[in-house]
This record gives sequence, structure tokens and C-alpha cells, in this order.
Amino acid sequence: MSAYLNTRVSLFRGRLWRDEDLDSLIKVPDSAVADTLVQHGLPQLAAGYDSHGRQHDPRSLEHRIIAQLLDETRVLIRPLSGDARAFLTIWTARFEMSNVKTLLRSKMSDERPASVLARLIPMGTFGRLDNQDLAHAEDVGELLRRLEAGPYASIVRHARRAFEQSQDPFNLDAALDRGYYESLILRAQPLENSVGTSFRSLMAHLIDRINLVWLLRYRFNYKLPPAQVYYLLVGSHYTLPSTRLRELAALESLEAVLAELPASWQAQLSGITDIPGVFTRMEHAAAAQALQVLRADMPDIARAFAYLILRERDLRGVRAVLRGRHLGLGDEDIRLALHRAPEERI
Amino acid sequence: MLGAEPLLRIQLVMLASEAQDAALTLARFGIFNPADCTLEALAESPASAYREAWLEAQARLTKLLQQCGDTGPLILPEAAEAPALADLQELNHWLQDAWVSCLAGHENQVEINDALNHLDALEDTLARLERLNVDIAHLLRLNSLLAFNIGSLPATELRRVTEALSMTAHLVTRFDQVGEQVYTVIAGPRARHDEVRGLLAQAGWRELPIPDELRTHPQAARTWLEAERARLSIQSDRATQTLDTLRKQFDPRLHEARLRVALARPLAEAALAGVRGKGGLAALSGWIPRIQLDALRTSLDARFNGRYWLDQREPLSSETAEVPSLMRYPGWLKPFVPMVKSYGVPRYGEFDPALPFALVYLLLFGAMFGDVGHGGVILLLAIALSRRVGRMAWVGVAAGAASMVFGVLYGSIFGNEDIIQPLWLSPMHDPVRVLKMAVGFGVGFIAFTLLVNARNQWVAGRVGQALFDSTGIAGLVFYLGAAGWLASLIGVTEFAQPASWLFGLGLAGVGAYKWFEAKAGLGERMLVTAMETLEAGISLFSNTLSFLRVAAFSLNHVALALAVFALANGLDAAGHGITLVLGNIVIIVLEGGIVAIQVLRLMYYEGFSRFFSGDGIEFVPLSLSPERYKA
Repeated sequence: MSAYLNTRVSLFRGRLWRDEDLDSLIKVPDSAVADTLVQHGLPQLAAGYDSHGRQHDPRSLEHRIIAQLLDETRVLIRPLSGDARAFLTIWTARFEMSNVKTLLRSKMSDERPASVLARLIPMGTFGRLDNQDLAHAEDVGELLRRLEAGPYASIVRHARRAFEQSQDPFNLDAALDRGYYESLILRAQPLENSVGTSFRSLMAHLIDRINLVWLLRYRFNYKLPPAQVYYLLVGSHYTLPSTRLRELAALESLEAVLAELPASWQAQLSGITDIPGVFTRMEHAAAAQALQVLRADMPDIARAFAYLILRERDLRGVRAVLRGRHLGLGDEDIRLALHRAPEERI
Repeated sequence: MLGAEPLLRIQLVMLASEAQDAALTLARFGIFNPADCTLEALAESPASAYREAWLEAQARLTKLLQQCGDTGPLILPEAAEAPALADLQELNHWLQDAWVSCLAGHENQVEINDALNHLDALEDTLARLERLNVDIAHLLRLNSLLAFNIGSLPATELRRVTEALSMTAHLVTRFDQVGEQVYTVIAGPRARHDEVRGLLAQAGWRELPIPDELRTHPQAARTWLEAERARLSIQSDRATQTLDTLRKQFDPRLHEARLRVALARPLAEAALAGVRGKGGLAALSGWIPRIQLDALRTSLDARFNGRYWLDQREPLSSETAEVPSLMRYPGWLKPFVPMVKSYGVPRYGEFDPALPFALVYLLLFGAMFGDVGHGGVILLLAIALSRRVGRMAWVGVAAGAASMVFGVLYGSIFGNEDIIQPLWLSPMHDPVRVLKMAVGFGVGFIAFTLLVNARNQWVAGRVGQALFDSTGIAGLVFYLGAAGWLASLIGVTEFAQPASWLFGLGLAGVGAYKWFEAKAGLGERMLVTAMETLEAGISLFSNTLSFLRVAAFSLNHVALALAVFALANGLDAAGHGITLVLGNIVIIVLEGGIVAIQVLRLMYYEGFSRFFSGDGIEFVPLSLSPERYKA
């Protein structure tokens, strides 16, 4: 099993996109888009392009990207069992949480069930929700109660309480997001103990980035009070533990927060003055770490997780290029949207 | 019995206004599997609105039936017609109104229950606050420098809320817990109280409303609580009465709604596969057994008097993967079918392994658990449980009988080999022969699976794979050569020379095919060819050795029985009897169960995985019964 996963991850590694690959996708003629995508193991995306390279349905690009990710996760999860399988399963549940949010918003806006069902991400074998049943709930309250009787009860229960008290969609989304990532950490903990630092480092980069970006966004974009900001962050035991997050949430400016970060982070974030910049730099750091884990002789589940992190980032890049081409943007604008650091090489 | 029934692809074009009746007729016909319509000229989807309305109506009807209870058995009259779209939409609106009325009543009842629970909590809280000796009125006065909140939040959030509130100089004191809710007092400077409102809302904080009545003498507070409870009790009775009235009011129409939703189901289900149309025309497409074509025409003529057009054709080779498989089995074989289907459904045109599965399963079970006594007990148990387990009891009866037959061949009754002489051999006295027989059977079984796989590949048009792959004819030649050569080596046969030729020929064929199939650079191609050929050889070898378990379990059976006898012989008369009975129960339950699973494993992994893709589509006829679709 271990050899199988190791080989699979190594083979998949060859599909990752280098910067020059993305650059060539920007430049290739329309008729060669499908071939380029197939060469990089993206048949799901290539299927959306006709012989003239035009996309039939721009909205389904998201769905096709996720279908591709789920396909690859399905292959990687096959030989896994126990904690590793449970972890990768909940990793894919992000997409189903997105479906939950779509369903909730559809009930708030009184959207027709058929219309919202068409917008949901097809989860295939990873799907744990009965979307038909949920889409036919009469209102948000009924939907939340149905969700609470399902596999995501622990995540939804708190969100329902928060929503019932405030009727604020922001509270609902924030509670779902926090609940999801805390469940992910819970599932990651046994693996951190058994697999070791390689896996922990990937989780640390992921959760620390989420917490820092959320903190900055809630504090300085939404102007929430420090106590509420701290409450909305994911309970973490990585580089930014709870005590550190409390201190950071109490600061009054983005610069002050960045100045209080660990020294190594300050070096990474030097020159950054806005929140998207923080996200991009931290994502680069996470990608570099994932790349290091993927290349090294690390435990299989850590390499598989690293691959999935990198693959998702790649697919976001591919999506940016395809969207840019579809909208007729210039090459430089598309490159700008990619935000990929030049030093990253597979 | 060894493959799916030949099907025809049909396209039924009719007036769009009669599409629901056409679908109903096909559902009543009971042997039509809908599929996507491929008529390019008919680009519209006239039934999608119908399906949407039906889904909504179905969902609301289910919820209403859960609320109001079943309306009795549903009998669909022969002459009943399916509702048109407008009728269905009107029904849907009525169901929506009915559900909203029911929901309001239900929510009212939930609110009353919540209020009653809240009163309970309030009563407990009052008792606790009394014990704390706190003047609540003083605590909650508005002109104090400190602001207080008394209420509850989920226990899981307490630590985080306490940490967050400490950032705004607020203290949290827990004083009670009911279920997963902790009751707390939050105190902090009134000047900073606004900062915590958002946080408390986010944390699911529920303020404990402390009415004026509760802020007085405890005796007065209790009197108020009792009055409140009586008021809620009256409200609850009224809510129940309202719901009962609604149920009585809805019941007749609800039954009619069930009838109409059931009659609308066929078109709604067919729409899922794809009903196409244009203008006033609609087309249903799907699969029917070839021999049923004339019967279908007769049904359609009787209903539509020629107002339809029916086209039929044979399945195309390019669409084999999409053709459903309709299998028919004799009654005695049916109990074994679920065990095959739990692995997968045969593709259309693929060999159906149900018959060989049943025969080999019984053969192996008998060989591994051969005992007249134990087999007899299994047989009798299966007969005794036949009412409870239904048709599956037949598997137990057949397995018990097979075990008895092998018991006679082995000369074993409840593990005792001294009562009857073996007709064939005693595993314990001739273990090497048993091992050889098991491996020999394994070679035959694997050769059979390779042959079947070659046949399946050939039928599917994959000639190269059928002839040269490691699971095709070349693999079979390679395998038989290797098996013959090894058999000659240990002196079982004397065909070393021709066997080695066969082995070389098969190996060359498999290697060449792998080389041809590997689309990669030279180095990777060589590596892939070498690895995959080696893997095929190792896999066939290890799969063959897997059959040693047949011999191992037949020996194990005797060994277990000997162990029971040895234990029993060391005890007095009563202990002897009890040990024999208990020991035999253990053998039947434990060993019998393990053997049943091991045989299944052999069939799945050494058999099915070699030739049976199991990714076929089950033939699911359009039907009036919802259970068919769930299946």
C-alpha cells in the first residue's frame, strides 16, 4: 500500500505546473488549449473546450477543477485507511461545506431548488449530504435542522445557534468556516503525532495563514472588536497559538501586527502593506514547504497532502489563465493575476 | 443465465401533452429502462419543468405524511391518467400551503416545548441563584458601573469565550449546566459592554430573560412560574388540537395527492435520464428486452391508437458501457445473486459470473468444511431460519448439503473419522494430496478466469487485450506454461519441455504487449514493461498459492475437532458431554463463518477481479414503485 501511494504521488508530481508551463498556457493558440491541459493531466478541464479553444460554459470551470481534484484525491485515498483516510476525506469536505453555504444562501434568497441544485459542486463518492432533500427544505431553519441531523452536525450545530441569535449571514459563514477548520485540526492531530514534523509543518502553514489573514481582514477591513476577532479565529497549536493571536488581535494597525510576528515571518512579509499581499506571500511560503515535503523522502501521507496543496494552487493558476483568456485580458494582466513567485520550481 | 438479455434501444415519439401518459404506460409495462434521448432534432427538455414540480411536490408530500401520518394503502386504478404539468403545479401549490400550515403548527409546538424547557431551566436557575444568595434585581440594575449578562452558551465554547472576553476586561462565571449548555454570569465595565455584543451573538449566547416576577421574593417567583406553566399547558393543548384539525382537514386531499404524485412519478423519473422534445412533440428513449418489442407495441396501440412513433435499433458497440444489463436467473440461483452484485454488476455483453460463482462457492465451502454432522446442523439451521432470512436460507441449505457430501467423501461426522470410512480421502491422513488438489484446482480456476476475461475483452472489441495482455490468452499461455513447468519440476507431470516453450511464448506475448502499450520514453518504457510483466507473474503465482487455504481449512477442520476431543477426554462424563457440544458449536459458528468468508474472498479476489469489471449498469425499469429507484 505504502509503495503504491509513494509511486502514485511521485507520478502525480510530474503533473504539477511550472511557472513556464503556465506562461505557455497564456501564449498557446486557442486550438491548443485542450491539448496543453491534457498533457498536464487535466482531462476534466480539457473537456470544456471545443476544437476552437472556446469554453462552452464558463461557470462550470470551477466544477471541473474541483472534479479534477476529487478524482486525484480518490486515487490517493484508495490505499489509505484509519486516520490518514479520515483526514483526506475531511480535506475534501471543504467543497461540501461550500455546497452547504450555497444551500443556505439559496434559502435566504428564496431560490428555486432546481436552480440551486444545478449550482452545487458534484462531490461524487465524497458526497455525504443528500442535496435533493436539503434543497427542498422550506427555509433556513428547516435546512439547518436537517443538516444538524447529518454528517456535519458538529460543524453546523454551533452555526445554527449563532445564526438563530443574530440572523446575520456573516455569523453563519464565519461559524461554518471556523467549525470546518477546527474539525480538520482534530483529524490532523493523530497524524501529526504518528507522521511527525513533515505533516505538522504543512498543517501549520495552512492554519497559521488562515488565522493571520482572517485576523487582518476581520480587524482592519470589517473593523470588528479584538475580542470578537479572536473568537472567530481557529483554535490552533501551531506557530500562532491562542495567546499570540489574542495579543495580535488587540493591536491597532496592520503594520503593528506584522511587526509583532515571528522574525522569520517578518522576513517573508517584508515590504507588504496590504492583506492580499500577506495572503500571497504566505501561500508562497506554504507552497515552498509543500514542495520540500513532496521532494524529500517523507512519509507517504505527508507527500500526498503536500501534492494536493500544490495541485490545488496550480489549478487556481490554471483557472486564472483560462478566465483571463476567456475575458480577453492581456498576457501581462494574466501574469499579474497569477502572483506566482519566480523562484518556485518543481 | 451466463450473460445479459439482448436489448433494443427504442425512441418513442408522441404528443408532448401525452408524455406523462406515455411514461405511465411504459412504467405499467414494467420493462423499460429510460436513457438519454439522442435525437438531435429534438433539442428541448419538455419534462424538466414537470420533474422539478414533481420533486417539490414529492418532498412536501413526504414531509406532510411524516407530520400527518400515513393515509392508508395506495391503490392505483388501472384507468387512472397521469396529471398534466398544470395539475401538478396546482397540486404543488396546495401541498406548499398545507405544509406551511402544518409547519406553523409544528413550530408553535416546538416553541411551546422550548418555553417549557426554558421554564424548567429557569426554575433550576432560581434554585441555584437562591443558594448563591445573590440579589438579582441589584445585579441587573442599569445604573451600575458594571454590566451583567446572565444566560447560556454551548459548553464547547466556554473556554474560547472566556479567553476572548478577558481581552475586554470581562469575567465569566459558570454557575450551572443543563445538557450541553452552560449557564454563566458575564460581568464587565459598562463602558466596554458594546464590544462584547457581536462576540456573544457569534458564540450562540442566549440571554436568560429574567422577568420582573423572578426578581422578587422567591415565593412570589415560584407562584409566577407555576402560572406560566399552566398557561403553556393550555397553549400546548390548543396547538395539538389545531394540528389534529389540520390533519383531518388535509387527510382526504392528501390521499389524492399521494395518488397523483405516484402517477406523475414515471415521467419525472424518465426526465432524469432525459426526455427531449420540440414544439408539440416529446420523445422518450430507453432500453427494452428484444423479445418484448411486440408486447410494447400492443400496449402503446391500446393506449394511444397510433398517435405515436416507435423506432428501435440494436445497441452500438461504442455505447456498450452505457447499456444496462438485464439478468434473469432461475429461482435456485437467485439467492446467490446478491453476493455477486455486492462486487458489481456485469457489463452488457460481459460474462455473468453468478452461475459459476454459486457452483464454485458450494464446492469450495464443502471442501473446506466437509463434515456430515456439521453440514447437517447448518442445513437444519438454515431451514429453521428460512422464514426470518427469506431466500438467503437456500444458500445455507445448499452450503450445508455440500458440507455433508464432502463429509461423506472425507469420512467425517462431527470431526469423528472412525464412524464411517472415507469414500475418497481423509485430509488428516493424506495432507500432501489435499494440498496438491487445492493448488491444482486453483490453477484450473485461474485458467478459467483468464479465459473468461479474454472472451469479455474480445466481445468488447479489445482484441489486442484479449489476445496479448497478461489477463488474456497470452497470460493464460504464460500461466499454464509456468504451472506445467513447476509441476514437472516437482515430479507431478513430465511436460517440462513443452511447458517451458509455452511459458516463453506467453512471456514474449505479454512483454511485447506491455511494451506496445507503454506510451513513454525508452527508459520508462523498459522499466514499465519489466515491472508490469513481473507483477503479472507474481500476481498469478500468489493467487494460485491462495488456494492452499482450501486444503488448510479442510485440515484445520479435522485439527479443531481433534482439539475438542482431546479436551473432552480429560474431563468426567458431564464435562465430556458439555465440552463436545460447546466445541462443536464453536466449530460450526467460528470455523463455518470463517470458511464462508474465505470462500467469498477467494471468489472475489482470485476470481472476479481477473475478469469481472463489475462496472455495469443495472437494468432499472421505469416503475410506479419508488423502491425500485432506491434499489
